[in-house]
Amino acid sequence: MTKIFSNFNWKAQALGDHAIQFYLPEKMDPAMIGEIKCFHDFIFSQQLKEIKDIIPSYHTLTLIYDIALMHEPIAFANDLIEKFSSERKTEVAAEEVNVIIEVPVCYDEIFGIDLISMSTKLNLSITEIIKIHTENIYQVYCLGFMPGFAYMGDVNIKIQTARHPQPRKNVSAGSVGIAGAQTGIYPMHSPGGWQIIGRTPLKIFDKNPAILSKFKMGDFVKFYPITRAEFESLNQNEL
Amino acid sequence: MDTLQDKGRYGFQHIGIPPCGYLDYLSAQLANVIVGNPKEAPIFELHFPASSFIFNEAHTICISGANFVPVLNDKSIALNTPIQVCKNDTLDFMQPLLGKTSYLSIKGNIDSSAWLNSKSNFTSQLKNNVQFNIIAWDADNKKNSNNPTEQESQQCNINEIQKHIFNSNEIRFIPGPQWNDLTNESSSNILKQPFNTSLNSNRMGYTLKGPSLQLIEQKSYLSSAVTRGTMQLLPSGEVIVLMANHQTIGGYANIGQIILVDLPKLVQHKSDTPFRFSISNVETAHSEYKQMQKCSS
Repeated sequence: MTKIFSNFNWKAQALGDHAIQFYLPEKMDPAMIGEIKCFHDFIFSQQLKEIKDIIPSYHTLTLIYDIALMHEPIAFANDLIEKFSSERKTEVAAEEVNVIIEVPVCYDEIFGIDLISMSTKLNLSITEIIKIHTENIYQVYCLGFMPGFAYMGDVNIKIQTARHPQPRKNVSAGSVGIAGAQTGIYPMHSPGGWQIIGRTPLKIFDKNPAILSKFKMGDFVKFYPITRAEFESLNQNEL
Repeated sequence: MDTLQDKGRYGFQHIGIPPCGYLDYLSAQLANVIVGNPKEAPIFELHFPASSFIFNEAHTICISGANFVPVLNDKSIALNTPIQVCKNDTLDFMQPLLGKTSYLSIKGNIDSSAWLNSKSNFTSQLKNNVQFNIIAWDADNKKNSNNPTEQESQQCNINEIQKHIFNSNEIRFIPGPQWNDLTNESSSNILKQPFNTSLNSNRMGYTLKGPSLQLIEQKSYLSSAVTRGTMQLLPSGEVIVLMANHQTIGGYANIGQIILVDLPKLVQHKSDTPFRFSISNVETAHSEYKQMQKCSS
């Protein structure tokens, strides 16, 4: 087994009195997703009693800890960075088969309520927007905003569109949207400002504790188009 | 909005599930300890105008936190004291005299389904005419505080906790990752100018009224984890302090974190009483948190 040392230089800072934030340079970079996931999985595998939550994001990994059990948070954090750097074995990651989660999307304008305005703005036909959105394999940077909401990227620059300045009061569950370089799916009805291009019939978040979130950080995702009739027959979301 | 709360659910923030749990954990724990419950037992969290309660059998109850002038069958009752209630007694809350969030504990375990190890509910409030059964604790969880020395020390602890939450207009924070992105004028204003809680405050966050704060340059940040007590600077120049039902990650400037021991002070601060911010550090925050946890046990 060869150990390959990381080029990533993790740093740690206290985030108030009950969290530690590990951070890399602040940029949205798909190359960092694997590294953050690796560090997340390493800390998770340690089963540390002090840690209540491990929350990954674009360039950070944050630990929420129990004050009663924590003594020196910064020493604790630096110790984890050191252990991680010396114990990681990246050849496992290279051999790992990446499962791609395939997500059916109905890009009918009845669901893709922003397709027409985007088509005008981007100077592309709706067919071209759909083709470009379904071409890429996306990776999940992180989850947040609401249970199960996965921020995926990167969206082809040709169809990147800024979010609406005023969020809509109600976006339907299953709605697939774009915000700049990111794409994502609303797991439940909620207010939201993303540009909506379609809807998936899949349930993205299930309260059943054995299922919960369809996606986790680091997952690969590919969208494929389905017809309105296929959507109706597959739909698992409340309309 | 009245809800059932416990210490909240942890271990699921990486998939976007907010931790929830009681807002003023010190008062909630106190109310539980006074009736002999485990500190982190589920408890009713009440906001004015609060629900009325009718008891179907005899119970020991306690009300802690905000004083909404509780009356049992039209007779006023004391806070932070075990109260015996009988079958058909009614409990009502008359006016928001002091604080914003009140807790009603009932000796025993409140029978309600847990989701992901917690009974804290983040989507809905208590329904009209909802009924709860109270289940006695098994022997392990029983606690007897009938001996006088313990009662005496309990009284002293109650006073200490009350004083800490309600008699202080100073709320301490630890500067956050974007503290240095504030203009000098803004960072000095945070420490010099008074703030108030606004009416736009709920279990997700408390929006503050105070001096308008500015960043040196308007920029957007990549989202990263936030937690209870995080002070986010909104583009409007206002500060929002995140509470139990907060989103798990956020992209606004994170200018500071209120220390956990002072968070109940903010939770209970009514909009008409100004408070001031001061800077603290991790060591102080930890030792005072642990000190106050000793008080509420």
